[in-house]
Amino acid sequence: MTGPILEIDTLVKRFGSRTILDGLTMSVHPGEVVCFVGPSGTGKSTLLRCVNGLEDIQGGEIRFEGEKVEARSKRIVAVRKRIGMIFQQFNLYPHLTALENVVLAPVVVHGEARKEVEARARVLFEKVRLSHRIDAYPAQMSGGEQQRVAIARSLAANPHLLMFDEPTSALDPETVGDVLAVMRDLALEGRTMLVVTHEIRFAADVGTRMVFMDQGRIVEDRPPRDMLADPSTERAKRFLSSIQG
Amino acid sequence: MQYTFALRTIYPYLGTLWQAALVTLYLSLLGIAISLVIGAGVAVMRRSRSMPVRFLGAAYVEVMRNTPLLVILYIVYFALPQTGLRLSSFTAALIGLSLNSAGYMAEILRAGLIAIPHGQREAAASQGMSGLQAFRYIVFPQVIRIVYAPLGNQFIAVILASSLASVIAVEDVASWMQTIGSTSFRFFETFVVAAGVYLVLCQSVNLGRIAIGRALFKHLRSAR
Repeated sequence: MTGPILEIDTLVKRFGSRTILDGLTMSVHPGEVVCFVGPSGTGKSTLLRCVNGLEDIQGGEIRFEGEKVEARSKRIVAVRKRIGMIFQQFNLYPHLTALENVVLAPVVVHGEARKEVEARARVLFEKVRLSHRIDAYPAQMSGGEQQRVAIARSLAANPHLLMFDEPTSALDPETVGDVLAVMRDLALEGRTMLVVTHEIRFAADVGTRMVFMDQGRIVEDRPPRDMLADPSTERAKRFLSSIQG
Repeated sequence: MQYTFALRTIYPYLGTLWQAALVTLYLSLLGIAISLVIGAGVAVMRRSRSMPVRFLGAAYVEVMRNTPLLVILYIVYFALPQTGLRLSSFTAALIGLSLNSAGYMAEILRAGLIAIPHGQREAAASQGMSGLQAFRYIVFPQVIRIVYAPLGNQFIAVILASSLASVIAVEDVASWMQTIGSTSFRFFETFVVAAGVYLVLCQSVNLGRIAIGRALFKHLRSAR
């Protein structure tokens, strides 16, 4: 087995006097699909944001592919180039077409030739089943379509790690399935993924690990089916039964 | 007594009117361009992380918005020479007009910058863009679109405000109006013609702006 792609060691994140992540430690190996679940406000999204330096940290250490992640260092760009991030609100660039959204960063950040990137982008649009929407602007697309463009955008840079921050929470129920289907394909390709989600069924089917977080700490970290069948902590049991209805 | 309105009485002065219109146009367009550049700088200052820089930017805006252009023109043209800085009336008018308009431009551009959701900068950062790249490819194009219509208002305001330059001896359309009115005694006609010239100048600049906007944002309905 190869070494971990991501190592997080006693990570502490505070906003002012509020502690969001409280000495969190975990590591992720290539090919793992880690689903983070837990009540809102327990630091799941913040954790992802720390991993690519969108948030600075107050204690501990994060290493991505052996390299220390420091939000304020110039080296952070090298880390971000290898991590794809998908946001709850999609954050597509509204002044660019779907294709241009996907092509921009590989061209201006990675310095690739536009022609080659466009060819690759077309393949990605096939993968997210949006070949017919390539020239549409974000405002002309449904939420589910926008999120799939956002996934294509993150894939265009050939990332080593994909991070999904509640990717389906802002979507209409009928478009959630399209996005989850694309994510499932990515997992089957063997991509390394961190997914913050409330879609327990998806986490159970696709995840290789389920991490239950509460108050900035990892409460349980087990294979999803084990955790769902028999949560070992009372806190996880209550939460899981509440969201499964 | 009856006044007979007769436009043909001012035909002899149309040659000088053409010259005057060019001066107004030249002064206005330069003023618009310079105040856009200063305004952009001030808008960026107002969003700086440094408190003193933000304060300086805010102070500039408030001083320029809360003093009459007339007074600014007097200071630049009549008061500055006392310190040894002697300027031609055109240069003085251009400086005063640009400084004044920059206060408004800054606020328009700042509103545009504020309107860009934080998620846009975050998405750009997460893709590995530098601050400069995010500005160039993500923020700036969106800001331009947002401020395009309000900028049009300010462009027109600058053209109209340029008429004050006549009080410091710039030979623009307003100055032509006063001179020709009092030499020909055809006040009514000169005033109406001057008003028409300003109308045409403003509309030309505005239509030019809209045409450029159509080309820039050709796919978008909100282009106007």
